[in-house]
Amino acid sequence: MGLDINTKKAKKNAYRIGKVRGEGASRIRVPGGYLKAEILGMVQEIAEKYGNGIVHLTTRQGFEIEGIRLEDMDAINEMLQPIIEILEINQQDPGTGYPASGTRNICACIGNNVCPFANYNTSKFAKRIEKEIFPNDLHFKVALTGCSNDCAKVRLHDFGIIGMTMPQYDPSRCVSCQACVKGCRSLSVNALRMENYKIIRDEEKCIGCGVCITKCPTRAWTRSPKKYYKLTLMGRTGKKNPRLGEDFLIWTDEDTIVKIILNTYRFVKEYISPDAPGGKEHIGYIIDRVGFEEYKKWALDGVTLLPETKMRECVYWSGIHFDR
Amino acid sequence: MKNEYIPFPAQVKEIIRHTDIEYTFRMSYEGEVKPGQFFEVSIPKYGEAPISVSGIGKDYVDLTIRKVGRVTNRIFEHYEGNSLLMRGPYGNGFDIENFRGKEVVVVAGGTGLSPVKGIVDYFSANPQDAEKVTLIAGFKSPEDILFKEDFKEWEKNLQVFKTVDTAPEGYEGLTGMVTKYIPDLQIDDIENTVFITVGPPVMIRFTIMEILKLGAAESSIWISHERKMCCGLGKCGHCKMNAAYVCLDGPVFNYAESKDLID
Amino acid sequence: MGYQLSRKTADEIFGRLKQDYDIFAPKLYPGEGCFSDTDVIRYGKVGSLDEIEWSKRSDYSFKEALLAVNEVLFYFTEKETRVPSCTDKKLLIFLRSCDLHAVKRLDAIYLNNGPEDFYYKRLREKARFVLMGCSETCGTGFCVSMGTNRTEEYDLYLKPEGELYRADCRLEELQRYFLTEEVSVCEAVPDYVRENKEKVTFPEKLSTETFSNPLWAEYGSRCIGCGRCNSVCPTCTCFTMQDITYRDNENAGERRRVWASCQVDGYTDIAGGNSFRKTQGEKMRFKVMHKIYDFEKRFGYPMCVGCGRCDEVCPEYISYVNIINRLAKEEG
Repeated sequence: MGLDINTKKAKKNAYRIGKVRGEGASRIRVPGGYLKAEILGMVQEIAEKYGNGIVHLTTRQGFEIEGIRLEDMDAINEMLQPIIEILEINQQDPGTGYPASGTRNICACIGNNVCPFANYNTSKFAKRIEKEIFPNDLHFKVALTGCSNDCAKVRLHDFGIIGMTMPQYDPSRCVSCQACVKGCRSLSVNALRMENYKIIRDEEKCIGCGVCITKCPTRAWTRSPKKYYKLTLMGRTGKKNPRLGEDFLIWTDEDTIVKIILNTYRFVKEYISPDAPGGKEHIGYIIDRVGFEEYKKWALDGVTLLPETKMRECVYWSGIHFDR
Repeated sequence: MKNEYIPFPAQVKEIIRHTDIEYTFRMSYEGEVKPGQFFEVSIPKYGEAPISVSGIGKDYVDLTIRKVGRVTNRIFEHYEGNSLLMRGPYGNGFDIENFRGKEVVVVAGGTGLSPVKGIVDYFSANPQDAEKVTLIAGFKSPEDILFKEDFKEWEKNLQVFKTVDTAPEGYEGLTGMVTKYIPDLQIDDIENTVFITVGPPVMIRFTIMEILKLGAAESSIWISHERKMCCGLGKCGHCKMNAAYVCLDGPVFNYAESKDLID
Repeated sequence: MGYQLSRKTADEIFGRLKQDYDIFAPKLYPGEGCFSDTDVIRYGKVGSLDEIEWSKRSDYSFKEALLAVNEVLFYFTEKETRVPSCTDKKLLIFLRSCDLHAVKRLDAIYLNNGPEDFYYKRLREKARFVLMGCSETCGTGFCVSMGTNRTEEYDLYLKPEGELYRADCRLEELQRYFLTEEVSVCEAVPDYVRENKEKVTFPEKLSTETFSNPLWAEYGSRCIGCGRCNSVCPTCTCFTMQDITYRDNENAGERRRVWASCQVDGYTDIAGGNSFRKTQGEKMRFKVMHKIYDFEKRFGYPMCVGCGRCDEVCPEYISYVNIINRLAKEEG
């Protein structure tokens, strides 16, 4: 009997069709890169039973089990089921493997579970977005990073989420040691200065990185109770016009970000090119075509920005043009 | 209960200009005060600095102030007739009794001359109270020489070496570091000689080395230390050296008792 | 006199105390720690017993209840100075045994080293101390080694035990608050720590030779001079004077004193540019020797009370405990 595989369906089921005839790879997304160690054992088991014993760690925080036979997909899907359940991946039919692969895994740096610089729990927020947007065939890339260091390189994604904190200053606890001033100057954007022995923060300049807070020996600087984010838009790699994501909202909140991402799915459904290969077109190219004003209208539909949020009214991108 | 932190206003009776940056302020003051003691001098809104007493009169104290730092720059803009806020005097100061009837050698560098000036003045006015008094005073250059009028008086009554580190060609006075003049001191009886040295920490260190080479006892040497002092009251902690608080236990120390003090 | 009282009665007594005293106690400040989603325990005014953090040692000590981080000494205009008035109420400060021993050290500097300090004294006279028993050791404390694990100097002892509070009142002034029918008299011996995880052998043969031990340079190369150790220490008392003028009136302003740290640059700088301890190694040597040697030479007992906060707070994981133990080993 000949090997009769619906490759489109297989790809949407998170399988890669490899270059060796009849072989492929099983792709396991790990939202936010956050997983219980027991999953590693499960991945190992699949790789040793159905693959060639090799697992590739993907650039988007997943596993790719190499050398699987395409006819084993159903059996592998069954073995993937406990992983999917532990990771709480949205799934309509149990036992059928990972659904859809258009929207890419949501990546995140290690965040404030471990990192002293991070301003929020990146994997938790990644999970929340996962729950809202998966499964989905549209080509979206979302990444989260704990602070302005951007270790997760979120500016290469359609949606980049950068953690911020609004520094709170209690002058009565300040000892004028200037650890914050020096820290901001050497590690961040030099937004602090001392006047009359107290610190003045340049609110225009401050990027909410939180360095002043980690440097403060007396808790004169503390974090805002509310967590803030910077939302960058439409970074991308690719063959035509790779570019870095640009700031759209500064000092925004989780709910707004989730709403804007969901609104963008509606925008894409409306405007995606009917000729898009495989039904996929980078959002950025769609925005280039219909204009940022139109996108903004869709993105902000039903959104009430926080009073402290700063929005870039018009966003321009540059990047490298190979297509001109 | 007395609030030691509240300063009192004192009138500037006269300003004596020594150099472009060093002035003596003659302040109205009536009260017990000893050479080597200091006042915390302030202008509200610019802060306080500890300033040694450089001269004592019946109704005044002299404060010689060098235009350095934030506080003293402001003081220089004040002129006669105005008031400065001060509190003090603080510290132990020099005790004339330790030097009476002795051969006294004073080695001072720059503004270090201020805290010992009271001693020099005393023996210049009362030469009979000491066996012999020698002053070795060093300044960076001829322009930096302080107390020029006083030197004229001292040179009449005491043996004075007034030296500068560097001088332009043709300068007729003495040149070289203060330490250069120590080995050749004419000392009649080293057992009956006392030394006082005040100045920058490095100068003090080398001066003591030279003095000890003369065969002097450690206990014959007296030093006055200059340290950061925010309160002058043993509270702020900045002037502490080992277990000693310079503001309370000093600034004048006997070398034998203080040589182990480490910052 | 020892008492046992219900939670409800304790709350009522607290309510009455609150009318006569400003009550300072360790409080948990959620989210105000150094890192995201971390808390800090420090002193603050409390309005009820429930606000008090009983289970963990505070990250910052009680000292700010007696020595504010920033304290205005006087306000001034061109011709006049005015001293800020002091609170009318008395103070009730909840603290642990190590910290109560630290009060003695603060007294030594502020009342017995030179003239009495006006500002410290006027608050100190109003202060009453409530001992919070320690039923188990904290992580980094070494109070047993320092002999500061027990104290009888408290005015009141109060400790929650399940649904009850146990109290021991030693100060007559406070006794009357407990004279209600709901309070039963019983034995109340303060809980204290009998053994710490950290044990410190105090070096006995320290001398000025110790100042040249190479260990100072070794630790100095790791220290970043942030001064956290000084900030959290219950016995660090240094301050720096600051004069400020008001932006809208240059001729009026205030003179303050503000906590100073001997580990932070500038501590020994004098006008004209000299400074006396330039390297972090020298600064650390100065601090440690003050805590375990210099102060004792002056006052007859070590300054350090073994609370262990400095070890807990150091971002560079420099262990003061280990430094002392190394000194004991190397210097004898």
